[in-house]
Amino acid sequence: MNRPLRSNEELVLSRRTFLISSAAATAVFSFAPPASAANFLPLPDPFKAEGGPLFEPTIWFSIDANGITSINIAKAEMGQHIGTALARILADELEADWSQVRLVGVDTDPKWGPMITGGSTSVWSTYPVFSQAGAAGRMTLIEEGAKLLGVSPQSCVARQGRVESDGRSIGYGEIVRRGDLSRRFNADDLKNLTTKTPDKRTLIGKPTRALDIPPKTKGQAVYGIDAEVEGMLFARPKLPPTRYGSKVLAIDDTAARKVKGYVRSIALDDPSGTVPGWVMVIAESYPAAVKATDMVQVSWRNDETAHVSDKDLQAHATMLIADPAAGAVLNTGGGDVDAAFGQAKSSIEATYTTAGVLHFQLEPVNAMAFERDGVMEIHTGNQAQSFILPVLSKALALPPEKIVMRSYLIGGGFGRRLNGDYSVPAALAAKALQRPVKMILTRADDSVLDSIRSPTVQTLRIGFDADQNPVAMDHAAVAGWPTKAMVPIGLVKGTNGALYDPFSIAGADHWYDMGITRVRAINNDLAQKSFRPGWLRAVAPGWTNWALESFIDEAAHKIGQDPLAFRLARFTSRGINAGSAPNAVGGAHRQANVLRRVAERAGWGRKLPANSGLGLGTSFGQDREMPTWCACAAEVEVDRKTGVVSVRKLWLDIDAGSIIDPDGARAQAEGAMLWGLSMALYEGTDFANGKVRDTNLDTYTPVRISDVPEFDIAFVDSTEVPMGLGEPPTTVVAPAIGNAIFAATGIRLRRLPIRPSDVLDAIAHT
Amino acid sequence: MKSPFGTLYSTNITPDRETGIGAWSKDAFRRAMHEGVARDGSHLFPGFPYDHFTKISDDDVDAIYAFLMTQPAVHAPAHPNELMFPLGIRALQAGWKLLFFRSGRFEPSTDHDAQWNRGAYIAEALSHCSACHTPRNPLGAEWGGASRYTGASVDGWFAPAITAANPSPIPWTPDELRAYLFQGLSRFHGTPSGPMSPAAHGLTALSISDQDALVTYIASLRGGNAPPQAVADAITRALDVSAANTGRQIDPDARFYVEACASCHYNGRAGINPSRPDLALNSAVHLADSANLIRVILFGIDAPEGAGGVVMPAFGPGFSDAEVARIAAYLRRTRTNEPPWPNLEKTVGKIRAQGKGEG
Amino acid sequence: MPTNFRINGRFVSVGEDTDTPLLWVIRDELGLKGTKFGCGIGMCGACTVHVGGRPTRSCITPISAVDGAEITTIEGLHPEGDHPVQQAWRDLQVPQCGYCQSGQIMQAVTLLKDFPTPTDADIDAVMAGNLCRCMTYPRIRAAIKAAAARSVGQVNHE
Repeated sequence: MNRPLRSNEELVLSRRTFLISSAAATAVFSFAPPASAANFLPLPDPFKAEGGPLFEPTIWFSIDANGITSINIAKAEMGQHIGTALARILADELEADWSQVRLVGVDTDPKWGPMITGGSTSVWSTYPVFSQAGAAGRMTLIEEGAKLLGVSPQSCVARQGRVESDGRSIGYGEIVRRGDLSRRFNADDLKNLTTKTPDKRTLIGKPTRALDIPPKTKGQAVYGIDAEVEGMLFARPKLPPTRYGSKVLAIDDTAARKVKGYVRSIALDDPSGTVPGWVMVIAESYPAAVKATDMVQVSWRNDETAHVSDKDLQAHATMLIADPAAGAVLNTGGGDVDAAFGQAKSSIEATYTTAGVLHFQLEPVNAMAFERDGVMEIHTGNQAQSFILPVLSKALALPPEKIVMRSYLIGGGFGRRLNGDYSVPAALAAKALQRPVKMILTRADDSVLDSIRSPTVQTLRIGFDADQNPVAMDHAAVAGWPTKAMVPIGLVKGTNGALYDPFSIAGADHWYDMGITRVRAINNDLAQKSFRPGWLRAVAPGWTNWALESFIDEAAHKIGQDPLAFRLARFTSRGINAGSAPNAVGGAHRQANVLRRVAERAGWGRKLPANSGLGLGTSFGQDREMPTWCACAAEVEVDRKTGVVSVRKLWLDIDAGSIIDPDGARAQAEGAMLWGLSMALYEGTDFANGKVRDTNLDTYTPVRISDVPEFDIAFVDSTEVPMGLGEPPTTVVAPAIGNAIFAATGIRLRRLPIRPSDVLDAIAHT
Repeated sequence: MKSPFGTLYSTNITPDRETGIGAWSKDAFRRAMHEGVARDGSHLFPGFPYDHFTKISDDDVDAIYAFLMTQPAVHAPAHPNELMFPLGIRALQAGWKLLFFRSGRFEPSTDHDAQWNRGAYIAEALSHCSACHTPRNPLGAEWGGASRYTGASVDGWFAPAITAANPSPIPWTPDELRAYLFQGLSRFHGTPSGPMSPAAHGLTALSISDQDALVTYIASLRGGNAPPQAVADAITRALDVSAANTGRQIDPDARFYVEACASCHYNGRAGINPSRPDLALNSAVHLADSANLIRVILFGIDAPEGAGGVVMPAFGPGFSDAEVARIAAYLRRTRTNEPPWPNLEKTVGKIRAQGKGEG
Repeated sequence: MPTNFRINGRFVSVGEDTDTPLLWVIRDELGLKGTKFGCGIGMCGACTVHVGGRPTRSCITPISAVDGAEITTIEGLHPEGDHPVQQAWRDLQVPQCGYCQSGQIMQAVTLLKDFPTPTDADIDAVMAGNLCRCMTYPRIRAAIKAAAARSVGQVNHE
């Protein structure tokens, strides 16, 4: 019931109310450090480093006189608990006392090297660096500790932050206080260090608590959207009708001027071409900016992409794929594939398509920017500062050293924040207004601007000899290419000399022995013009592996073979599929292993009720150079009356080499698996009038808690080099479901997402 | 107040001499209350319910006068009414009165006990419940006889029937009336909203014996209590439907409803929680008129309304007319046996354009 | 006309336009950043706070609606952040990116108030309005059950 407010209770006026009543509240900015950046992984106060001697053998960590080990994390924290995993690699090798370790999230600086968090590469790429850094620290501490103990280094071991010898020991903090730790290691020194053998590991692979979690349960975690600085204005963009080809003709803000707190609207001048045709609506509060933006009238001249529809994109792709000369050919071992098909006794061909997918990271993109002492500071959560800094430099006409990006927690990445386009308009507005500007996109704005997973069209073909052995395979995929849109320098040359985006075709270069194989990557130039194709969780294998694994299933059925046996027979581990150290030891045999394991766990071959079926899907993750071997089995039931596909259970088997943080790894696998389910059955948006059709949760319907099926995830126990985990498991779920639908009903579905209407249509046509 | 004849604005009844009733004598006030005639002799519009107030006893009218005269005076000129021609001509009100107005104090019924009669006096004379809950004839007078209390549109809302014609799956019992009217929340019927909200707030000032009397009278209007089995069956049906569509499924309407509404409106197998208004029982979903449901979805319910201190947010700004219509149609389809509402999307658009108003 | 309400036990009076969403007043005027902006149409639950003890999507609640009301945000759930639901969230390591978790926790607290020993169906229905884009759902479900087990026989904090 209503409780009366008592007048003698503490009265807290809000800031704005205070400002309204205070005539003196003119704009006086103080640049108090915003709640931000380096403390984005907050730990209790006792961990605060104090002045005094610091042992800093590499840029990656330091130990202070109290023995506190601070580890610098240059990767974005977006839910992978990456700081915890990386720190444990270093701390394990350093023999640090884990309770004395703290994480430091760093801002952009060239010394960190490329700042990119994507492709599930963080653990894999950091593992050698942090192992060596930790080993360097351990060796130095042992040397100095031995001196202080008056013993030989050979008699010493490091354990839990102490150097021990014959029952005596000295703590790291004391060594830092008393020893000579001026030794520095350069890159070559580090490479020559010997690191621990797996049996000596103390932290890697052991259960732990992720350090970023507690504040996230208390409302204390600081994300980009939480950044604020005194005197900042708020902005919401008025988005142009097309992604690239729009030019502002006129702005009419007559109506918006009636909104309390509205300041002005500015058309951005962007020499980098990142946000052409953008108008920023500025106000003193975000709700005012939202309201005013709806009232500002802008007329644009736009390009022809304003009318592009899904049908246009698909028709264009179909035309491209029909041209045998189109696209770039990957190196898949050589041979004349056309001749091989010519000699084949029979063949099978099919075309697969996928709809666009939104990132829909829950924190809409946002950025706060202001100039301080001639440096443009951009406060935002970002996955690839190294990609966007050169763009910002061009947009702002500032040398890169005059721009710094401060790091924040990311409220969902999934690849969206590899594309830093959203930082450009905030910085341009701050420059134009000479005031701090905080831009936040509404959800619908975020969806419209999203660099979606491109809709795709793929055609696959397999030729068989007289004994029904596959002798030729052809896989062509048409898509919008993220790398071409955002870092064209990352395009790779194919065997025919044409450039391609490896992120648009990875997964098609599989580990099956299918005879002479051709893989072709074709850019959908209409897609490229109409939107900014993005990297989205697992990127290409999200579509290539859907097509590949569904088609392999089709091929097995065509020749009357069991889909599991057909696959296992093709994992010969011969030739280019033999695998090599350090990353792909075992090659295709390891993929066969996870597939066999998952089939066994799911009870492959058991009898199922009518309209129920079991399906398999497998993959090597995203990159042959960094294979994470995955396999999935899905049990589904299809309702023939409604077309509804119910996933009863998913089994997942993963070989990612050594697992650093077992619970964190499991969490990533759970999330990736459910993303796979979501993109198989629940997500997908069409393109209409140059934009995505679905912009919010009223029509865009990702998996909810009630959609989660029973599941069972297992990891292969391994001491091989650690691989990535965040994305690979997404790639096997959709084909497993599609193949299970076929097993249940005999219906082959070739489009993602699978909607009940697609199932009904297919039933009607059989 | 919006009526089919235009908008009427209430006038100042503080003791301000110039713009209020400060210059009115006790007799002039009585004449207004009992006869619908202003101090200057002009006829009052029946938006001022003198057709009910005429039943108030002289003593009570005098008490109201005494109360009003002790209130602080506020200078507030009357807002001109916006009535369609020629209804704005006050002299014409004489004809209306001739046709529909019967002057006279409340007469107790000898068929009923004193408590029932006290309740009838409160309902008919003081609270004028039928002013909203009884349909009106084309000239804006309440229909009599069997039409009394069978429900009517008011201010963009629908005041439901409080006779046996009320379509709620669980009939109104004295307990539920008490919970709804005086505590602001019935576990089976929800919370007073729209124009009923201030009405219910006013009624909380009644003494316990007057509350009992009012409940006795209102409950009698539907003629007898529902058999307990019917109540139990309705609850079971509601819980069944509440449980049926919340799991894994792809029916887009059910999904939309669950994602937007079930977090507050779902009830478990254990029973109906009054703080989780069950839409399979709520009258708004069962009425022939969709206005109440649409209004609540579009504009929400504020903390001071209904169950005090609790809010239903406003889904209007985020949802299109079609989406609001989708949820309403889905509830109607799954929660009632009533025919679908026609032209829902258009109705949503119309109500959205009307705005929340004073609600 | 200022809007008056109590938030986390403190009386506040705010002068924003009455149609301003409660969310932005909580975040930007009162500086309580734990409540998050996700979809703006009441369908993701990231902005969930308690109004009068009931879970409420603050992004579609105009401040005029909460005049005189009593509001609790994630920051006010428990002085040390040790509400049984928060503890269970940490024990099971629920959050990934964490952005939705304030809303998930606020929703779960009221779920357990209404359904002290919730079934899977209860959890599905009441939590389906809270999107977790990292898909921590299996752990959310487990943590709710753990908190329920922990709370049996205990008085709820709120």
